[in-house]
Amino acid sequence: MSRLSWVKTALEVGVVTKKYPYEDVEVPEGFRGLPEFDAVKCIGCTSCANVCTPDAIRVVEDVGSGVRRLEYRVGKCIFCGRCAEVCPVSAITISKEFELAYKGEVVHVIELRYARCSVCGKPFTTSKHLTHVEGKLSEVIRENVDLCPDCKRRVSINSIIQSAGAVR
Amino acid sequence: MSLYGKSIWVFHLNTGSCNSCDIEILDVLTPYHDVERFGIKLVASPRHADALLLTGPITRESLPKVAEALMAVPEPKLVIAIGSCACGGGIWYDTYSTIGGLDELYRILREEYGVSEPPTVKVPGCPPKPESIIYGVALALGIVRQKVATAKVSAD
Repeated sequence: MSRLSWVKTALEVGVVTKKYPYEDVEVPEGFRGLPEFDAVKCIGCTSCANVCTPDAIRVVEDVGSGVRRLEYRVGKCIFCGRCAEVCPVSAITISKEFELAYKGEVVHVIELRYARCSVCGKPFTTSKHLTHVEGKLSEVIRENVDLCPDCKRRVSINSIIQSAGAVR
Repeated sequence: MSLYGKSIWVFHLNTGSCNSCDIEILDVLTPYHDVERFGIKLVASPRHADALLLTGPITRESLPKVAEALMAVPEPKLVIAIGSCACGGGIWYDTYSTIGGLDELYRILREEYGVSEPPTVKVPGCPPKPESIIYGVALALGIVRQKVATAKVSAD
């Protein structure tokens, strides 16, 4: 008798099988899919690569061609969304794209031009990053912003020594 | 992919995964997603299988068994890597106890066993949605087109 009751339940429930991939499927609210990178907004600060747990976002410093390259590998990504969380300019958005199966290798690359130190000419960060930082600093410390860390240290120490000498 | 005929039989190979990808694979076999409508059937031995569903980052302990199972699958074979761990190592890409993904496995197979790389479909996700797994299988069968592609943007 109990087996017949299963038949009754099955008839009441009907067909539950989804027709995917022949029809679209709805994705739940808050689903984290493929991160999308906005190359126009990106300043190349590399904070996304710093927090990336599976090393899906990598920074390649290509000094020879004068570009910093940010490489995102879909196959390594665990879709945790930390990169979007830390991005200071909201260049990364987590989309709902889940159909990510691929053959071979899929890499998304963003190339950003270096800014060069105005004293020694060494590339130290991207020019967009420099512009972003410049906008955040106050007038007093903005003057040495285009120097690389080494030159900046030397210049500020020299200026401190000079001002101390003047007082003495 | 007419080479595989109309239905593929799959062997589920766990190579040290955390079991969430395995649970998603079981999900795909339930009546809600029902991959048997594509003729996909889970089999108990790699010798009966057309495709290998590989989950996990391939631990060093499981490596010889994985190589053996992969070589036991008759030609033409197909590998479907499920989850980020199998695709590229996931968060275990540099740990001492795993070899870190499929690419490394293929390198080892080529150099130590002299086996060439079988056709592979990778399904990233941690774990992938059941629909993504179906999409991956459909991509292997040639029902759908690949959506993601390599892109290079030079800003400023």
